[in-house]
Amino acid sequence: MNLMLNILLNVTIAFLLGSLLFGLQRKVMARIQMRPGPPIIQHLLHTLKFYIKESTFPKTAAMPFYIAIASILCVIWVSAVIVGPVAQGSLLLIFAIYALHKIVEHNAGSSSGSPYGKLSCVRAVFSAAAEVPLFAVLIIIYLKTGTMVLSDITAYQAQNGALLFTIPLAALMFFVLILSKAPYSPFAITKGKDIISGYETEHFGLLRGYLMISESIAWYMLLWIFLTVFLGPLSLLGYLVGMVIISVIVAFINATTPMLNPNHSIMVQVTLVFIGIVGSIILLML
Amino acid sequence: MKTLTITSYLMFIISIAGIVYAMVANPPAWIVYAIAILFIPLSILSFGLMIMAQSKKEEEDERAREPFIGY
Amino acid sequence: MDLTTIGGQLLGTIPLGDIVLYLTPFNLFMFAGALAFTTLIAISRTETQVEAEFGTLKDKEVKVDLQEFKIRRFLAIVCGLATAGAMITGDLFNFTLFVTLIGIVNIGIVSAVRQVDVLNAAFQYGLIAMMASLPLFGGAAIILASTGTLSLLELVKIPYVTSMMTFGSLLLLMGIIGETGVAPFYATKAEMFRTPGSPFILIIHLSSLLVIVRAIEVLLIINKPF
Repeated sequence: MNLMLNILLNVTIAFLLGSLLFGLQRKVMARIQMRPGPPIIQHLLHTLKFYIKESTFPKTAAMPFYIAIASILCVIWVSAVIVGPVAQGSLLLIFAIYALHKIVEHNAGSSSGSPYGKLSCVRAVFSAAAEVPLFAVLIIIYLKTGTMVLSDITAYQAQNGALLFTIPLAALMFFVLILSKAPYSPFAITKGKDIISGYETEHFGLLRGYLMISESIAWYMLLWIFLTVFLGPLSLLGYLVGMVIISVIVAFINATTPMLNPNHSIMVQVTLVFIGIVGSIILLML
Repeated sequence: MKTLTITSYLMFIISIAGIVYAMVANPPAWIVYAIAILFIPLSILSFGLMIMAQSKKEEEDERAREPFIGY
Repeated sequence: MDLTTIGGQLLGTIPLGDIVLYLTPFNLFMFAGALAFTTLIAISRTETQVEAEFGTLKDKEVKVDLQEFKIRRFLAIVCGLATAGAMITGDLFNFTLFVTLIGIVNIGIVSAVRQVDVLNAAFQYGLIAMMASLPLFGGAAIILASTGTLSLLELVKIPYVTSMMTFGSLLLLMGIIGETGVAPFYATKAEMFRTPGSPFILIIHLSSLLVIVRAIEVLLIINKPF
């Protein structure tokens, strides 16, 4: 297939499926809390609604940085789609993309000059201290498979069975990372409701829609990476079922846990990192 | 506001032209990647800037003076 | 060990004497990312922070004044260029030099601010960064002494790993952690992020995260588990 067409198709699928999975998550959370909940396409509708709304830019904002930071979120996750489903590139590259995602969280908050954004910015710095080590699971994957290229990792799994069963603690660490990127998650301190919408507070209207598009792509990509790296070569249906299952599990956790205080959130994540890395290395040596 | 509209039209045309070029002319892979990474986000942003609702003339002044909308 | 198992397909090399720059998609992406952010910083204004005032209903605006703006922007651009250099370099010693430059410039970016808390944080970060430069250069020196080369492209080809190389890379890791102020030293660094001047503060965070990602690649190249 034509390469550009392939990329466009993958980006569109990532956006639509990511939005629907977010919608599904809200539905499941609502049912657990005995509410009827919004329809599953609600997140998609929200995105489109924001996208066509009237926007102005705060006069205190750091222009053009304030707009560019929203574009960068989209740029990095489009790159992730290219590295992932399209080109099957290096996992380390996706780690770099995730590091840039943390930068965007940090600076979308501080670029507007709003106190809520600033608080979210400081929290993003804290959470990077826990989430970047969580991504370090890829070192364990490298120690196990001897490669960081996604296509080789799937080939390894096709031969030796899914990595989920050989390095379960690494999979758990990655799952915690996915969990901390979900809305209403116990670890979502950068978007806590105590600071309105965190770093997105002052990105309203069009820019909020733009950020939501990128976040949908990001959610899809994180699930895609988890499924590819830990469950090996899957069919399209396998990916779909896997993504729905993970989203539902995340929704269950989010609906039943309160959001943690920033310090506690970091400590829980760091503890899990410690258990994950040390435990995995011990498991590898056995 | 006028410069914003003109810039967004321009950005939209350039980015769509780039994407169409990559689709039709089949350049080497790295050029396609570069075009995709730069122009897909740009086209989404500029399309949004083009179609977003505009404020009415009499409301424009008060909106510009607010530090934040939610304030 | 094969370089392509880490960063993806090798796109090409740029030989500069015995220092050979190698280009993988991973290095290029981070290089381009650092340069893109540097350009953004160079053309951006700073934001105005709005704070509530005690005793009245007015807002207080905290701004960056022109003199402070100029010096911080200059330092931020230097930091961006050093980060881009650290992403693309193929030489361990150049890498350590870029990392120390990042450390020095980061202290400069925050110490231009006239706020007591921020200056305190900058001072503590400065102490850590200074202390970290010893293990940083020491690590590189030990790796040179035990392998005879500092070129990463040569280090990849060495088939064995001695315990001295592992010791050297551990020192290197300690140096990088201290110099960029990550994980255990984050507490003082987060204090520095409360000042106005979002584009400049971005580069402090960006440089530390990107250097850590690159350091993972460098350490895997030196220690080669395979």
